[in-house]
Amino acid sequence: MTDPTLAERSATHPRPVIVDVWAPWCAPCRRMAPIVERLAGEYEGRVDVWKVNADEQPDEARRLRVLGIPTMIAFRGGQEVSRKVGAGSEADLRLLFEMAVSGQAPAPRGIALSDRLLRLAAGTALVLLGLTSGPSLLLQAVGGVVLFTAIADRCPVWQAVRPRLAALIGRGGTASPEV
Amino acid sequence: MKYVNEADWDRIARVVLGIALLYLGWAGMVTGGWGTFLKIIGFLPLLTGLVGFCPAYALFKFRTNKTTA
Repeated sequence: MTDPTLAERSATHPRPVIVDVWAPWCAPCRRMAPIVERLAGEYEGRVDVWKVNADEQPDEARRLRVLGIPTMIAFRGGQEVSRKVGAGSEADLRLLFEMAVSGQAPAPRGIALSDRLLRLAAGTALVLLGLTSGPSLLLQAVGGVVLFTAIADRCPVWQAVRPRLAALIGRGGTASPEV
Repeated sequence: MKYVNEADWDRIARVVLGIALLYLGWAGMVTGGWGTFLKIIGFLPLLTGLVGFCPAYALFKFRTNKTTA
């Protein structure tokens, strides 16, 4: 019989849990540590913080689908409410703690604004280049795809089709929203 | 989840470089073998800039994005 996973343990835990996946060599993790400690003290009795050393518990990190550290995951009643990947501000982390307390996840935000602007600019440039050089259908098509990736998360048709496509290629399941 | 190892400035520089190289190649500013080379190679910085992940960085364990490890 295998040990229960952190998610299973959090299901029977009386309080919501923030799982902090870190490693001693990870500089962003060290930067975040005092903020986590401060918030853990502030939310004492309402939220517990469990530390997972990714070097010592690689299986646990894998089960939590951690691809980069620091990663902080909020569990409530055994269910992942939200996760935060990478270093962030105290406000970001506080939001995670609040979500653990309330169990409310914010609406998915899609891609970051900077990412969206970068894709829009690159896509537009490619389409214009495609129109003026030749014209080149390849550049126009690539530009169109880049432009679409900038707005795909806001496209209701794509959102409706995407789960079916994912099921078709065997990638079912939904990712939890990120902070 | 993102696996981004490039900082924002790095990504913008790559996209600008990629567009510039593609422009030189596809707009006919550079012709011949070099023109063909630019037509293809320009997609490389463009793609890595848009995705935010550089395989060469990963190979040499280097990153300009310091927010994740």
